[in-house]
Amino acid sequence: MAGTVPFKLITPTEVVFEGDAELVIAVGTEGEEGILPHHAPFLTALRPGVLRANKSGGNRLELATGEGFMQALPDRVTVLVDRALRFEDVNPAEARNELSAALERQKSAADPAAFAREQAIIDFANAKLRLTHH
Amino acid sequence: MAALKDLRDRIRSLRNTQQITKAMKQVAAAKIRRAEQAKKQARPYADTLDEMLRDLLVNVSSVDHPFMKPGRSGAPSGVILMTADKGLAGAFNANIIREAEQYRNSHSDALFYSVGIKARNAVRRLGQPDRPTWPLSAQPKISTAREVAARVTEDFDRGAISDITLVSAQMISMMVQRPYARTLVPVEPSARDEAKAQAGPRGAVEFAPSPEFVLSRLLPKYLEFTLFAAMLETDAAFFAAQLVAMNNATDNAGKLIDELTVHMNNARQAAITKELLEIVSGAEALAKA
Repeated sequence: MAGTVPFKLITPTEVVFEGDAELVIAVGTEGEEGILPHHAPFLTALRPGVLRANKSGGNRLELATGEGFMQALPDRVTVLVDRALRFEDVNPAEARNELSAALERQKSAADPAAFAREQAIIDFANAKLRLTHH
Repeated sequence: MAALKDLRDRIRSLRNTQQITKAMKQVAAAKIRRAEQAKKQARPYADTLDEMLRDLLVNVSSVDHPFMKPGRSGAPSGVILMTADKGLAGAFNANIIREAEQYRNSHSDALFYSVGIKARNAVRRLGQPDRPTWPLSAQPKISTAREVAARVTEDFDRGAISDITLVSAQMISMMVQRPYARTLVPVEPSARDEAKAQAGPRGAVEFAPSPEFVLSRLLPKYLEFTLFAAMLETDAAFFAAQLVAMNNATDNAGKLIDELTVHMNNARQAAITKELLEIVSGAEALAKA
C-alpha cells in the first residue's frame, strides 16, 4: 500500500469520522469510486449508498450515507453527506418498510423529479439493509 | 399606614419578578452554550462546501442551472423571514422584522415565507395570512431547513417568485446581534469572479461526470445548508439577546427595589416619630392636668 491519506466524513451536524485511510470507496453518480492516497484533485457527486474506508491498522469503516459529494486531493479526502449511519444505528425492519413504501410510490411518480426523489430513498434504504447483511 | 403597606407589597412583587428574570437569564446562558456548540459542529461542512463551490465556479464553462440565472421577470421577490419563536429578548425580533419591512418598501409585491413564530405573526400583520411557515426551534433543524429549501425552490422553479432573499439575525458578538438581509438565489455573478480571485493554486481539478453536473447537485445543497446555518445563527443570537435583556431586567428590578426600600424605611421612621410625638404630648398633657 502506498501509505495513508487523512480522511474526513462530514454531515451538516457533525464530523462523523476523522482519521487516516488507506482506501476510500464511495458510490458516485457514475458508479463506485475508489480513492487511494496521492489522488489527483477530483470532485464528484455521490448517490446514497454504502461508503467504505480501510482505516490504517486494518480496520474497516462502513456506513450508509445519503446524497453528497466527495473531494479528493493529493493530501486529503473529504466526503460531505446529508446523513451517515453506522451499522448499530440501522433498524432493518424500518429500512425494509421505507424501501417497499418508496418502491410503491415510485410506480406512480408523476415526473422525473419525483421519480428521482423516490430513487434516493430506495438507494438509502438499500444501503442500510446492505450494512446489516454482513 | 396604607403607604407603608403599599410599598412593602410592591417590593415583594418586584422581588418575585427579579427571581424570574434571573432564572431566565441562567436558562438563556445555558442554551446559548448549546446553540454555539451546534454552530461550531456545522462549521466543517460549511468550510468544505464553500471550497467545493469555489472549485466548481472556477471550472464551469457554461452554467445551466436555474439558480445561476435571473428568475422569471415580473414575478415577486420571495423573502424568507427568520426570527425566534419566543420573545422576551429586547428588540431582537422587532429589529429583524423591521429589516424585512424595509425590504418590502422597495419590493412592494414581496411574497413572504416565515421561520419562527414571531416571523409568522409579523407576516400575518403584513397582510399575508396564508403563507407557508415553519417553527425555528423544532428539532432536527436540518429537516426544517430541507423543507423550507424544497418549498422555495419549487416556487422559484415554477416562476412564482423571481428570487430568494433571506432576512435573519447575525450574531456579531454576545452583546451585538444584527438583522441581516441577503439574496441567496440567483447566485450573484460576482460570486464567480470572487471565486476565481480566491481559488488557490490547485491546478486542474477533475470532475465526474462534469463540473456542470456536480454544480447542479451542489447548488440545492448549498441553499439547504445556508438556511440551516442561518437557523443555527438566529437561534444563538436570540439567546444572546435574551441573556442581555434578562440581565438588564434583573439589574433594573434591583435598582427599583433599593429605591423603594429607602422610601419604605423613611415612611416607617416617620410613622414611629409621629407615634412617639403623640405619646409624649399625651403624657405631658396628663402631667399638666
